[in-house]
Amino acid sequence: MNHTLSILLQNEAGALVRVAGLFAARGYNIDTLTVCATHDPAVSRLTLSLQCDDAGVAQILQQTRKLVDVLQVAHPATALAA
Amino acid sequence: MTTSAQTTQPAQATAIDQHPLAGHTMSGADVIVQVFADQSVEVMFGYSGGAILPVYDAVFRYNATHLKDNGDEPMPLIVPANEQGAGFMAAGYARASGKVGVAVVTSGPGATNMVTPVRDSMADSIPLVVICGQVSTVAIGSDAFQEAPISNIMGACAKHVFLVTDPAQLEATLRTAFTLARSGRPGPVVVDVPKDVQNTALKFHGNGELALTGYRARLRAVEQSTLSDADCAAFFTALMQARRPLIYAGGGVIAAGAATALRAFVDTFGLPVTTTLMGLGAFDTTDPLALHMLGMHGTAYANYAVEDCDFVLALGARFDDRVAGVPDKFAPRAKFIAHIDIDPAEIGKVKPVHWHHVGPLVRALERLNSYGRAHGLRPSLDAWHAHVAELKRVHALNYDRSSRLIQPYAVLEAINRHTDGRAIISTGVGQHQMWAAQYFDFRAPRHWLTSGSMGTMGFGLPAAVGAQFAHRDKLVIDIDGDASIRMNLGELETVTTYNLPIKVVVLNNVGDGMVRQWQKLYFKGRFASSDKSLHKKDFVLAAQADGFAWAQRLEHAEELEATIAAFLAFDGPAFLEVMIDPDAGVYPMVGPGASYAQMITGEFIASRDAPAAREVQPSHMF
Repeated sequence: MNHTLSILLQNEAGALVRVAGLFAARGYNIDTLTVCATHDPAVSRLTLSLQCDDAGVAQILQQTRKLVDVLQVAHPATALAA
Repeated sequence: MTTSAQTTQPAQATAIDQHPLAGHTMSGADVIVQVFADQSVEVMFGYSGGAILPVYDAVFRYNATHLKDNGDEPMPLIVPANEQGAGFMAAGYARASGKVGVAVVTSGPGATNMVTPVRDSMADSIPLVVICGQVSTVAIGSDAFQEAPISNIMGACAKHVFLVTDPAQLEATLRTAFTLARSGRPGPVVVDVPKDVQNTALKFHGNGELALTGYRARLRAVEQSTLSDADCAAFFTALMQARRPLIYAGGGVIAAGAATALRAFVDTFGLPVTTTLMGLGAFDTTDPLALHMLGMHGTAYANYAVEDCDFVLALGARFDDRVAGVPDKFAPRAKFIAHIDIDPAEIGKVKPVHWHHVGPLVRALERLNSYGRAHGLRPSLDAWHAHVAELKRVHALNYDRSSRLIQPYAVLEAINRHTDGRAIISTGVGQHQMWAAQYFDFRAPRHWLTSGSMGTMGFGLPAAVGAQFAHRDKLVIDIDGDASIRMNLGELETVTTYNLPIKVVVLNNVGDGMVRQWQKLYFKGRFASSDKSLHKKDFVLAAQADGFAWAQRLEHAEELEATIAAFLAFDGPAFLEVMIDPDAGVYPMVGPGASYAQMITGEFIASRDAPAAREVQPSHMF
């Protein structure tokens, strides 16, 4: 099933590689990816979508939260459903 | 990544907490060494090279001007044969001491040689701070001499990596690296420092760290989380209904310093304890309620207890594939599984649990202990204790005691009679590692140093060196294999260079024993590349060449006791090669993809089932 994740991260060289590398290393294929600035120049918003089951998305959310330069990880679909 | 421009400063720096060097101008290299000193670093490990020379010079000058009263250097820099050795020395130091291990290496090959220890420490949650020299900022990306993209490479292996391109951020970044390494679930942090940053004149502040608001907010939430009365009540409702509750304790108990809290919990409620490979020492293995190690090569009685239990309390453990190879069939009769860990990502990662808590282990165990006591909740476990005692008696570890060939188990038992569970034991990876895990007693945490998750051959010798620097007066023994020790054999010379009284044991079975064991089971005995009978190395001569005054080969079983006694009694570095039965296997064995019920116990350990010819299926997993 398709999941869209929204990630706020510190706007620094290498931070994007860290997120993309985590997904690759744990066997998740990113289908779409957008990175954009936010009102705070020190923070970027990364929006990505991927295909995986619910257990898989729960696990990759937790793993993404372990990245030091990640500020916040949200899964808007679950937030709406909840 | 580059370091953040944000730093946190204490709101009011008073004269009392002002650093004596605050406001002084010093080079970036001097800043690095001063932060090390402020972090109470007492030893570091590393190999020099062009891009790290300013730091090496700063260490030299710091040591020369801060000699201790006894004339010793305050922060000796220990030089290995290879940077991988430095990394495992730092890891051995960290594992044995509980402090952050520090390694300092140069750019390019120096840094890439450090990748294996960094990944190994990440996998086993060991706190390290690794400083890598880097080519100057203007040369980064130009394919310069000894340049490698360390922030990319290490980013995939480490807990975090910093590339310091703004010299003004160097001091806060270094201090933050120590905080990151030791906080939450510990791990290795790499700081890549270009040579021009090391040479920049900087004003030293003496305090301040990077903000890292996301990490710190998550850390605070985990550290402050507590067990409510309702959480405790749910836990004890399940425990009081259990007849056969079992604790499954992992390396997290040791990392959290929770062995005392675990002991107190067991004293109150009487749950038997089995530990993972990484958890050995978290609970005194000589205790009647200790079941030693579980898993693929765990004791038969621990694995049968897991089969029989109806309640599991997992503490700082992660249901790894060497423990729960088939997660659905792990603890199949458990009606309730409780899990406490510091890492939220480990909850439910492998196996769904009924109750969990993410938070500091000591506080969680103390809270459960006091709640249970206050409510008079003590399960009656006499029948379960009797069952566990019977499992330990009937399914005890055993081997061919009548063989004329030297049995590796007998060697370890003989050493254990001398050390009594109080020596620091390091290992390589393979059969000797599993035998050591099974046959040694461990009475306290941080006495067992092994590459658990990564399984890195060559770990044992450098880890022993690091451990000896953590505990100068303790007996440190490296139990190694002939193949594993070859991986970092250069570090034999490091042992004698620093005159470390390490005892090195090589259990020589002329090949990669564990690989052969799998080839016997799953590849019809075709020993592809695992036989080393054509190898010419004379290990005793090699040890002598590296300066070992005591180096012997043991080839006859009748000389075992006397040789071991002389070896351990020698005052100084000693090397013992033991020619063991090359066909000795590691039993019990829960094959890959098998459940504990399908455990093979071998010829000498009693199995619960009739040893029916069980078809062993080769597995595509692991």
